[in-house]
Amino acid sequence: MSLKRAALLLLLGGAVIPAIAQQIELPVGNAPAADRTPTADGTARPGIDESALRYFASQGDTRRLEAEIARLRALYPDWSPPADLFGPQSDPDLERMWKLYAEGKLSDVRSAIAARQATDPSWQPPAELLARLDESENRRRLINASDAQQWSTVLRMATETPGLLTCANVDILWRVGEAFAKTNQMQRSLDAYTYLLTNCNDPAERLATIQKALPLLDDEQVKQLLALERKDAQGQPEFTTIRDELIRRRVGRAAENPEFIVSNDDIARLETLARAGNTPDDPLLLGWYLFRHDEASRALDWFKLALDRQGGAKAAEGYVLALNSLGRALEAEPIAFQWRDAAPQNGKAYLDVVISLLTAAPPPVLSETVLTRFSPVVMHDKYVPGAQALGWYAYNTGQLVVAQAWFQTALSWDPNDEPSSYGLALTYWRLNDAARLNALVQSWRGRSERIVALVDANLRAQLEARNLQGQINRTTDPLVAAALRVTPPPANTGAPAAGLAYGAGQPQTTGFQPVPSQFQPIPAQATGQATGQPFQPVPVQTTQVAPMQTAQPAPVRRAYAQSAGYQPAAANRSRTTSGGGTQGGGGAAALSRGWRLMELNRPIEAVTAFDEAIRTGSGRIAEEAAYGKSLAYMRKGMTNQAQVAATEAPQSPRRAMQLTADLLAQRAYDFYRDQRYVEAIISLDERARISPEQQDLMMMRGWSYFNIRDYQSAERIFRALAAQGNTDAMNGVSEIEFARRLYKRE
Amino acid sequence: MRRLLIVRLTAGLVAFAALLALGIGGATPLKAQTMANTVPIEAWNAYRNSFVAENGRVVDTANGDISHSEGQGYGMLLAFLAGDRSSFERIWSFTRTELMIRDDGLAAWRWDPNATPHVTDVNAASDGDILIAYALARAGISWSSPAYTDAARKIARALGAKLVVKSGDRLVLLPGVQGFSAEERKDGPILNLSYWIFEAFPVFAQLAPETDWVRLGVSGLDLLTIARLGPAQLPPDWIAAPARGPVTVAEGFPPVFGYNSLRIFLYLLRAGIEDSQILESFRRSWLAENGGVPAIVDIPTGRVVNQLTEPGYRMLGALLACALDRTTIPRDLRRFEPTLYYPSTLFLLSWAVLVEKYPRCL
Repeated sequence: MSLKRAALLLLLGGAVIPAIAQQIELPVGNAPAADRTPTADGTARPGIDESALRYFASQGDTRRLEAEIARLRALYPDWSPPADLFGPQSDPDLERMWKLYAEGKLSDVRSAIAARQATDPSWQPPAELLARLDESENRRRLINASDAQQWSTVLRMATETPGLLTCANVDILWRVGEAFAKTNQMQRSLDAYTYLLTNCNDPAERLATIQKALPLLDDEQVKQLLALERKDAQGQPEFTTIRDELIRRRVGRAAENPEFIVSNDDIARLETLARAGNTPDDPLLLGWYLFRHDEASRALDWFKLALDRQGGAKAAEGYVLALNSLGRALEAEPIAFQWRDAAPQNGKAYLDVVISLLTAAPPPVLSETVLTRFSPVVMHDKYVPGAQALGWYAYNTGQLVVAQAWFQTALSWDPNDEPSSYGLALTYWRLNDAARLNALVQSWRGRSERIVALVDANLRAQLEARNLQGQINRTTDPLVAAALRVTPPPANTGAPAAGLAYGAGQPQTTGFQPVPSQFQPIPAQATGQATGQPFQPVPVQTTQVAPMQTAQPAPVRRAYAQSAGYQPAAANRSRTTSGGGTQGGGGAAALSRGWRLMELNRPIEAVTAFDEAIRTGSGRIAEEAAYGKSLAYMRKGMTNQAQVAATEAPQSPRRAMQLTADLLAQRAYDFYRDQRYVEAIISLDERARISPEQQDLMMMRGWSYFNIRDYQSAERIFRALAAQGNTDAMNGVSEIEFARRLYKRE
Repeated sequence: MRRLLIVRLTAGLVAFAALLALGIGGATPLKAQTMANTVPIEAWNAYRNSFVAENGRVVDTANGDISHSEGQGYGMLLAFLAGDRSSFERIWSFTRTELMIRDDGLAAWRWDPNATPHVTDVNAASDGDILIAYALARAGISWSSPAYTDAARKIARALGAKLVVKSGDRLVLLPGVQGFSAEERKDGPILNLSYWIFEAFPVFAQLAPETDWVRLGVSGLDLLTIARLGPAQLPPDWIAAPARGPVTVAEGFPPVFGYNSLRIFLYLLRAGIEDSQILESFRRSWLAENGGVPAIVDIPTGRVVNQLTEPGYRMLGALLACALDRTTIPRDLRRFEPTLYYPSTLFLLSWAVLVEKYPRCL
């Protein structure tokens, strides 16, 4: 190995130590070359320590020898290696120290120096050895500090030991560049990377340099670095892959922040890369960018591709969100559910999807699966918006008791959730539960105008005027939208005139929506499975059927609220059955317990008893129990459940007919109460096919026609009933005349 | 009774202040020839072979072989006391390279051989920094090494700037940079009275006079008087010492007089403070109630959780008996055999103070 060749090679390598210090304006501790006077013959001069050189030569360690020669040549340009490099060593102790140094045992070298100085106080280690030790220790210290993100220490080490800052230590240069960036010295950071790309030649390290700089520098600075690009052996620009990386970076940033937009060229290039590749990363990036820039349809395709390429949770999340925003929440729901536990975002996406399903207008027909798997998630997470959405869904499908339970559940988790309170207030209003409505309004006075407006006609008028001026904020939050869609009811429920003014504006007059007859879980069931605390009280407390019946001032409504007609029959039954029943003995006892609970007006508990009777009894007992259960639900206003319950055991034809008629009457009442007059009429029509219509139901029919402004039909009914001396019907006739005058004036 | 207490306390504080003043005013504050080599070289060599790795890392053999700033500081102090410049330099080299990496000039406290990067908690621990700086300062003077003195000064200044803080009328030593101050803890500051290494303060007063080290020492003695808690009247390892309000056991820490606090009296004796009331509590617990053996004591109940019978801990008891009652050191404690890192360290530090201040017991 020719030493000259080695030296030459390393000189070409450009290991110019002081240059970096100047380049990044680090204070230079000692300017090594300046104060040395070269001697003519090139022999060793005082001040240039060649002990390391001699040690490496003696060890035959050519790699270190070459490095040392190069280093000395860089420091002292006129210096050349001594001719007697391979001569005998004069100081074995010092030789051992160099050996330890070469092995990287820095603490051992320090220890050896101290030991020798302890025995020989006059002995001084070669300055070169100390300098090399300092440099090596500082190198380690710099790396340790950098790993611990102690950036000032990194820069202090670099300042104290500028000799570290060479192309032989690109890792150190990278760390220094990072430390400058992390301490907001961006220009110096850029200088460090610039120095590297100007002076260092290893292709892999050059590429890595750009990659290291990418997360730290801004686009403009990265551009300056890219200008230092060279061509590789094949004549190709060396940073091509980096340019694609930059596109990914731009798109990624714009995907995070919709305010940023990237060029079509960037998108086109990324699309090419995404198709050509086989990883999910680029499709994902495209998906998120497009999704966040209102191109959900295009985004969906990329998310799909990402999902197909095992893109995992992130891909599933994007896919679900894109479907949802395309109004395809029903398709999204199964995938969302499948991935909901993969990451917090997936859980959120699932909740969002179901919430948008629950709050859609008109309410879609949801399969039982959707609801039964959603409510436990809501219960488990105590997720207020989820409970609220279930409340709105129940509300919008006319299941007011269920709605009440869900809104109350939401409020048990967050008593200050205004939308849930609004939903609950609306529900109370439609259940005519004035006492609870007033109590709720009281607690929101000064906090929510729209809740207060439910009982305050003036405030209502103001709000409506404002709404007319188009000040309703259109919002993308489905829950807010759901709450906004609900037209607030009139303030004065008692006055027929108000009912008129109101009924005229009801959406139900324009289109009939069938009540989805699918299963809607109520929270009480959900907790029953879990801990059973928050709204067990719901069914027990809600005796709202009774107050509603009496508190209702309008004769029209009072008349049809009566489901009490069923009660005597039930009571009779209970007496007959319990007489022959045995205590604790299977179905008969449960059945008897059910009827007793019905007498005590505890219908939900009665349902449980009847359930047991259905399960354990047979024949007549099961039939009776199913009937009782149906009645119990009816008393709670839960007609859907009542209908289901009626089919749980075969009923005798006569009773089945009666039950169906009762159910339809109850349902008609529910619709009427919910101001869904068209549906109320349809229910009455259905009922009329199997059973003659009593006067009270005819009155309901009349007022329903009245409310949808079919005054002709309403008048025909009212006049017929009035002829039989029905005073309510007479009121109806005069209301029609009044209403007609109003409309003529318009 | 109460007056007597105050008088005794005041006497203690005056004595300490005088001690500090002596350190500050004297022309040659620390005499190398009398202070050095108080740890026998054979004992030190045995310690070194057991706990100091070749790269200068002091290994805590009872704690998963990790290292910490405290251990490095103990290692350097013991090497200095044994007059082993070579080992001192070895340990300092590791300490400087691996732990002295914080931007504020303090040492990262925790180093784990099985983690990458090795520093697993970059927070500082003030006792480690005090020990390192103190050892450097002593070595700088004794061995005429300006580099050591310079390094000691930098750490002492950083300690004063970052970890010595005002808390009401007190000047207190925070255990670490993060997590203990009144700003960070409702019941803060959280303090560890065994981090007050009193013997270092006169030295720091010379190196970093911008910090009032005398007052820090006085506050420490004051807190030691106040923090005698529970039936046993012993200071818990970790106390909550809000500027206004009583001193209590710090929430979230074991409510014990434990491995931390048991070295408090050692530090007091090493600093020449023999009349603190806290020594009485130690005497009652160790000498009167536990047969001369230190014990971990549950603060709320005063009950002994654990008796510490390793030679290093028994040596603490023997030192206390020597200092208070002139009892001679038992024969079986007159030879050193390394056990675990921590009790072995306490053994040698105790031995050093015996040699230096209580040769009558040997």
